Amino acid sequence: MFKNYLKIAWRNLIKNSAYSVINIGGLAIGITACLLILQYVAFETSYEDFHTNKDRVFRVKQERYNAGKLETEWAGGAFAVGNSFKEAIPEIEEFVKVVQTQDIIVDVNDETLKIDQVFFATNSFFNVFSYPLLAGDLNSVLKEPGTAAISESIAVKIFGTKEVIGKMLPISGGKDYRITGVYEDMPLNTQLKPNFLASYATFVEQVKTNSNGEQTPDDAWDWDGCLTYLMLKEGTDASAVEAKFAPIVKENESDFTKQSNSSAKYSLMPITDIHLYSNFMMEPGATGDGKTVYLLFGIAFFIIIIAWVNYINLATARAIGRAKEVGVRKTVGSNRNQLIGQFFLESALFNALALVLALGLMAILIPAFNQLSGQELSYALFSKSTFWIGLTALLLIGVFLSGAYPAIVLSRFKPVEVLKGKMANTQQGTLLRKSLVVFQFAASLFLLIGTLTVYKQIQFMRQQSLGLDIDKTLVVVPPIVTDSTYLSQMLAFKENLLKIPSIKSVAAATTIPGQPVNWNAGGIKLVSQGQELAKQYRVIGVDYDYVDQFGLKLIAGRAFSDEFGADPEAVILNRAGILQLGFNDPEEAIGKRIDFWGNQYTIIGVSENFNQESLRLPYEPLVIRLIPDVRGFFTMKLNSSDIGSTIAQVETQWNSFFPGNTYEYFFLDDHFNDQYLADQRFGKVFGFFTGLAILVACLGLFGLASFTTLQRTKEIGIRKVLGASVLGILKLLYREFAFLLMVAFLISIPVSWFTASNWLQGYAFRIDIHWSFFMLPFVVIVLIALVTVSFQSIKASLANPVKSLRAE
Amino acid sequence: MIRIKELKKSFKTEEVETLALNKVNLHVEDGEFVGIMGPSGCGKSTLLNIIGMLDNPTEGSYNFAGNEVAGLKESQRTQLRKGNLGFVFQSFNLIDELTVFENVELPLIYLKENKASRREKVMKVLERMKIAHREKHFPHQLSGGQQQRVAIARAVVTNPKLILADEPTGNLDSKNGLEVMNLLTELNQEGTTIVMVTHSDHDSHFAHRVVNLFDGQIVTESHNRALEARV
Repeated sequence: MFKNYLKIAWRNLIKNSAYSVINIGGLAIGITACLLILQYVAFETSYEDFHTNKDRVFRVKQERYNAGKLETEWAGGAFAVGNSFKEAIPEIEEFVKVVQTQDIIVDVNDETLKIDQVFFATNSFFNVFSYPLLAGDLNSVLKEPGTAAISESIAVKIFGTKEVIGKMLPISGGKDYRITGVYEDMPLNTQLKPNFLASYATFVEQVKTNSNGEQTPDDAWDWDGCLTYLMLKEGTDASAVEAKFAPIVKENESDFTKQSNSSAKYSLMPITDIHLYSNFMMEPGATGDGKTVYLLFGIAFFIIIIAWVNYINLATARAIGRAKEVGVRKTVGSNRNQLIGQFFLESALFNALALVLALGLMAILIPAFNQLSGQELSYALFSKSTFWIGLTALLLIGVFLSGAYPAIVLSRFKPVEVLKGKMANTQQGTLLRKSLVVFQFAASLFLLIGTLTVYKQIQFMRQQSLGLDIDKTLVVVPPIVTDSTYLSQMLAFKENLLKIPSIKSVAAATTIPGQPVNWNAGGIKLVSQGQELAKQYRVIGVDYDYVDQFGLKLIAGRAFSDEFGADPEAVILNRAGILQLGFNDPEEAIGKRIDFWGNQYTIIGVSENFNQESLRLPYEPLVIRLIPDVRGFFTMKLNSSDIGSTIAQVETQWNSFFPGNTYEYFFLDDHFNDQYLADQRFGKVFGFFTGLAILVACLGLFGLASFTTLQRTKEIGIRKVLGASVLGILKLLYREFAFLLMVAFLISIPVSWFTASNWLQGYAFRIDIHWSFFMLPFVVIVLIALVTVSFQSIKASLANPVKSLRAE
Repeated sequence: MIRIKELKKSFKTEEVETLALNKVNLHVEDGEFVGIMGPSGCGKSTLLNIIGMLDNPTEGSYNFAGNEVAGLKESQRTQLRKGNLGFVFQSFNLIDELTVFENVELPLIYLKENKASRREKVMKVLERMKIAHREKHFPHQLSGGQQQRVAIARAVVTNPKLILADEPTGNLDSKNGLEVMNLLTELNQEGTTIVMVTHSDHDSHFAHRVVNLFDGQIVTESHNRALEARV
């Protein structure tokens, strides 16, 4: 029986090869797209999933309030949080403190090696997290001051071997570390990717030394920058633990905080949520975007549904062709269930063939997909059991969803009717078929509108004026190893750079555009104001040349200048800054004095707001503070096209002033645009899969148009005999699809409007949704549909009616 | 074999109710060859479909070989039909995608016979229908007469008690038609009961008894004594 079903399914497949190609090809494209996206989604949602204790490990999130208003959200908080919480709350089993610090340079065999991603961490790091420690003792690693753990690949890079326990690692301009641990390189799907982990005790010692024994991080409630992770005891309710935070924080609140009318609120964030749902200040590593992931998931869903819909549509449209067979089978003894089984088997055959094709396609497409999406899918995928489980699930769901309706329709035929040819009328399922086509069009339109919105937003972000001039600007990363002569060295370096003819100006600042302003200062207020009006500001420390070089537009006052002796006590605020201080008119702010952590500064200028970072982020209140010897990025405005030689000349200067430091440079506009890489990638991926979805939908439409036109051959013949023109016939055939398209369009408008505006909400600076975002995709889809339908329609309308009428 | 009493069949559409069969009484004995004649739309095919259990009567009783059929569910009818009945249609109704052999084999598959016995039975009946040399051909490669011989082979391969033929010669020329009628007669002589709907006077002469239907009622019955005597 099975063999007989398979045989007839196969012969049908061969006989109607065009139909089969459309169906299997569409399904294969759908499955491929779906699998690729699912792998991507699976990866993005797998972050921190490998930690054995993932269900009870949380990161402590900090929210800062001023006058009851949420001002900033932080990945980290006060240094005292970890130990204080653990002491007071018995449900906390363990805490980990992680502090990111600046890059280090190690001296190995007279060569310098720069190591980035450097952190301090407490000994509990390897207990709470499941990062495998390859060598070293879990109980003693990272315990003593002056000890460190390094990753496997860094160990090999520095020492040429993984056997490095007990070895001393010399740090340029700092103390040596004794290696007490070697850990496996961090997996891709984790946020913390330290190359070098120094013991937290080292950090405590450094703080003590620098403050002459006055400060201990473990007591510090009013300065922060520490990431705290808590592991709760098993079976503990996180919200109950969270509720115990506030009293502890309150008790330890400093007088300064109290006076400032500000407060900090701490809460728990599951570590598995970090990647997709947190993008706060001081993140220790890149985060993803949950919205993007779920949007892509939605696309995958649409594509595969469109492909399944094709199968349903084509299989039922073709039902007439199979009616006789059903009738015969029933008369010779088949019951309905057997027929249902037979048609399910057929859908299984189609789906399985499509799946095989999809696997092949996937193997071919993985490199291209990686390039497109920035993912690192590999062929190792094929050896993962989850992949095959997903595949099987997709197959089963596909067989069921696409097979069920055709099976029911086909098995319902009554032999008496079909064998007597009374089945000419096939109103059956027409409505469903039309609804499904509407769905396909609506989904295609939705995706197209989405793509257009994404592209327009990216284009907008790249073209929008930033309020800053970042063109032709070479940036040199600040030196790591310096000594007490830094100020004079830096000034001399700048001076020498200006001697290079192709360099117009040189400036230095704590941060550069495209980089987050990590200097956040609370408690800033006008000197005349009470402490309760103090607010948080982002601070950029700059030298005299900064304002001029970046072309900051001043709306009041003047730029910094060394012609005025007292300028080191001068600041420039941006418009958002003076607004927060309480001035609407920039002129009013000039000459006012602000209180910044006990020191007083005079506002000498107000700049127009500018985009320090991606247009995703809003303008923030900025204090631009003059620090003539600022330690930070060097930026150079170039005026020549001979960039190569300029870079080389700068390097020569660099090496003579800052020996032992790596020379690192980049161009500011590239750096700034790098912020949009993720958006651009998303746009490309979105566009690519939208294209696939439309292709699959068109395949289906083509098939369906062929069949409906075929069914109407006789009608067309009669109409032509009665005098209908070719154009009249064409109109008749198009009318049906035109109506479906209109319905789809009407459905897609609200859905895409809602989704697009929701997506755009994630951008502080965004485009307005324009009517053309809907019309353009509609026109495109109409044209594509027209071409698709025309293949068959034109043929049918030109055909000689004698033929079609005689073919009875 | 067949006991039909007061059988009614009506078709309802939204507006009209058409009475296709009205109080039909018919007995067919084992081994009989009965012809059903009448003008278009008189209800012959409806009657044949009910006898063939492809359709249910609206009212009345239909007893097939001791089983009451009226009111049975489709699945039960399928069960009763399997192996007991063979159908021959005017338009042959062979499955285009199956070969001659596979078409004839189909009823045996649904009877869950094993492969070897299927092969044996199919080849036997194909030889008898003089079409065995075409076993691997597809229906469209055969002439009309050949196709109808395959259809008859398929109808008889299960060795049914009853063969129902709906205008079996309607699509054939006279030579092929005669051949088909001779085959049916042969089968009848071997003991198979046959009920045949026909338009053709010529074909009706092969039947022992001819029932004339008009507007859903049996109006006359004529006996072909010469043939009847041979039973």
